[in-house]
Amino acid sequence: MRPRTHPLLLAFAGLVFVFLLGPLVIILGAALSDTSFLTFPPRGLTLHWFANVFQVEAFKRTMLTSFLLAIGGTALSMTIGIPAAYALARYRIVLPRALANLFVLPILIPEIVMGFSLMKSLAIGWGMPIVASLLIGHALLVLPYCVRVVGASLNAFDFSIEEAAVSLGCPRWRAFFIVVLPNVKPGIIAGFILAFITSLNDVSVSIFLTGPGVSTLPIQLLAHMEQFFDPTIASVSVLLMFVTVAVMAVVERTLGLTFLTK
Amino acid sequence: MTVSLTIDNVTADYGTTRVLEDLSLHVAEGELVSLLGASGCGKTTTLRLVAGFLQPVAGSIRLGDRDLTRLPPHARNIGLVFQTYALFPHLTVRANVEFGLKQRGVGGSDRRRRAADMIDRVGLQGLADRYPANLSGGQRQRVALARALVIDPPLLMFDEPLSNLDARLRVDMRVEIRRLQQANGTTALYVTHDQEEAFSISDRVAIMNAGRIMQLDRPEVLYSCPANAFVADFVGFENMIPMRAVLESGDAVRARMADGTMLMLPKDRFTVPAQDFLLAARPEGLEVALEERPDGIPARLGLRTYLGRGYQYQCSTPAGEITAHGPLTQPYEPGMTAHLVPRPEQCCLLPAEPA
Amino acid sequence: MSSRLRAWLLATPATLLVLVFLVLPVLATLATTFGDPKGPFAPYAAFFTSKFRMAVLWRTMEVAVTTTLISLVVGFATAWVVARAPRRIKSIMIIAAVFPLLTGVVVRSFAWLVILGKNGILNDALLRIGAISEPLSMLYTQGAVVVAMVYLFVPLMVLTLVGVLEAIPQDLTEAAASLGATPSATFRQVILPMAVPGLIVGAVLVFTGSFTSYATPQLLGGERQMMMGTFLYQRAMVMFDWVGASTIAAVMVVVTLATVLAMSHLARRLNPVAG
Repeated sequence: MRPRTHPLLLAFAGLVFVFLLGPLVIILGAALSDTSFLTFPPRGLTLHWFANVFQVEAFKRTMLTSFLLAIGGTALSMTIGIPAAYALARYRIVLPRALANLFVLPILIPEIVMGFSLMKSLAIGWGMPIVASLLIGHALLVLPYCVRVVGASLNAFDFSIEEAAVSLGCPRWRAFFIVVLPNVKPGIIAGFILAFITSLNDVSVSIFLTGPGVSTLPIQLLAHMEQFFDPTIASVSVLLMFVTVAVMAVVERTLGLTFLTK
Repeated sequence: MTVSLTIDNVTADYGTTRVLEDLSLHVAEGELVSLLGASGCGKTTTLRLVAGFLQPVAGSIRLGDRDLTRLPPHARNIGLVFQTYALFPHLTVRANVEFGLKQRGVGGSDRRRRAADMIDRVGLQGLADRYPANLSGGQRQRVALARALVIDPPLLMFDEPLSNLDARLRVDMRVEIRRLQQANGTTALYVTHDQEEAFSISDRVAIMNAGRIMQLDRPEVLYSCPANAFVADFVGFENMIPMRAVLESGDAVRARMADGTMLMLPKDRFTVPAQDFLLAARPEGLEVALEERPDGIPARLGLRTYLGRGYQYQCSTPAGEITAHGPLTQPYEPGMTAHLVPRPEQCCLLPAEPA
Repeated sequence: MSSRLRAWLLATPATLLVLVFLVLPVLATLATTFGDPKGPFAPYAAFFTSKFRMAVLWRTMEVAVTTTLISLVVGFATAWVVARAPRRIKSIMIIAAVFPLLTGVVVRSFAWLVILGKNGILNDALLRIGAISEPLSMLYTQGAVVVAMVYLFVPLMVLTLVGVLEAIPQDLTEAAASLGATPSATFRQVILPMAVPGLIVGAVLVFTGSFTSYATPQLLGGERQMMMGTFLYQRAMVMFDWVGASTIAAVMVVVTLATVLAMSHLARRLNPVAG
């Protein structure tokens, strides 16, 4: 039996959810409107603005850059983050406790400070190509997700299973791939997908690292908004919301969305 | 202030599942009654109904002449000890014990004195300023006890209070609980799945199954005279042999087993309750005799295991596999033939139940 | 191979990535502020004596604190309802909170641009029902920034607090009730004190997030409502004043770290359970 929740509180929560979802519904409506300006409710329905997204060269190019960057940065971060998470979970006692904190530093340091510092050191000081510094910036940005989400799965993993494999004659490195990895796969998938969406949506780091010829979709959107105000932006936004839906579906299937309340 | 607890014809559902069916129970003033059964038998549900965390779909619950049925939990004035102890982790031992007094508006100095007395009585001297996280399991259990007792409730309820303690501590704590309950003369309802615990602590025990009370009686009665096959099995009558009385002659009744084998039951030792009945026997209630006996069940001895006080044999009989105990003095070899003779003090005859 | 060596070999690439590409550049930024020819603290003296820069700092503080307080109240009330909802409705509500959270900050800020603009939906609606005769200018005000920030952070707060509330065992509220505590007494004496550490975590997340935000103040505040993030960008990329920008960065790092440390200290003190 649950004690009843006060009706006023229920109504308030209802309003909060209208507040949370309403603006996104408005964008969807605006994207479908058959007008050359942003309006809601839509006047006449059209998919014209979605088609327009793919006519604008800048959107097409930055969309591709953003996807490649999100996948590349996350993959890089996972490649070095998973071994680190494994070392932290498996050899907690021999590693200094501060190490775990080091890997979440990218969350602690304001992103905009991180972006500015990376630009000064990597791009200008060390003369790295734009793409390389973007890749490193995004890998850093998502490292905490990789280490922590995978780490949560690894902490729940019973390492005596790995020892059982080794005792049965399996080399250690192989035991990691055929015993440990399959058991933490949900964590890896969820971590990957959360890191991916974080990278895809990033503004504060990218704004400093993009440069002539190379930009990301959010940065392009920001620039576009300051000059034009037509439903194309809304359409791009809706496309990004579809990505969100896909990401949620994957998280729900791997760790479950309630994972995000922990 | 001692009062009795009366549960009248209570029925309860969890969603669409019926978990209690028309249950009635009376706990007399100052009496401790245990609800004993496997998980899912309805014992915790009964306790939660009395506490007010669940609402019955039918029936009533009374404490003395006060009807509790529709009262919210906080107005019922029942001391409750949880399986998890449910101590408030953000409060010290003292504040945990004072919590109930505070709700009752007991003033500062009186409250502190009563809490301190109770903390002493449960043996937690010097730990009043600790937080629950810094206490051992047994100490937490004592805080839970003190917290429930200090409000001086007319009814105490315990939900598997000892199941998180190790074996030694369990025995100590149950003596402690019984001592405090009797000293206060508080009426108590105690839920457990541990038979020894229930029997040792209770005035009466209700053995429950599938939302019903199968038998409610003193532990001694339950142990020696179970009323039905369920209770018999529960209290350790492992062997259950269906029989039919066919002939009464002089000082014995002749009974037939399913396969036709006959068994003679002396009238001075057994009273046959119905024509179709069950012979329920504890393993130690079957004497292993090597000679031919008309009052014994023919058997072939199988696997022998050593129990310390004797040997146990898995025996093949016309009534199927039977477990019997033999004397320590002489281990018999597997494969020997023997007769298993029921001892009346460790066996009972129950009327057969309709299938 | 010893387990110590193995552990370090596995952890080294990630450690190097953070040390070389994050710690080093950030330290370099902080070092910049002390290398000024006018003296080691000159950039800070300039920052803290400039009316304009201090106004930006205070505005940022004000927006961050307001956003945090509103998010705490709104988030806690909503999380309370979510945590106690029946399973199916609860998962729908969690989806409804996660969806905006995972949608990008540009998209979410853009939505408020559409709503609050001069020809925006709110003005449009108000004009149509005759509540106003002239469109209001709501954009580029502090209110617009706060509304968009609250919008940005409420989902985070709700999800954090749902986790906190669900971690409070039902046994404890039942124990309180059995000891005579009314529902409101249970809330005040058991639930609220136990939720405080979670409330602090949520508050820290929202405060640091809004204090250091860039895209939202850029879109909804513009030049008029300059905040630390937009100010840093402007100093660095428009005026190429790197010492000035580095000083802003240093102030942001100090404020953020101080908040995190102070709050986690407070959380530990209020939560003897962990100790």
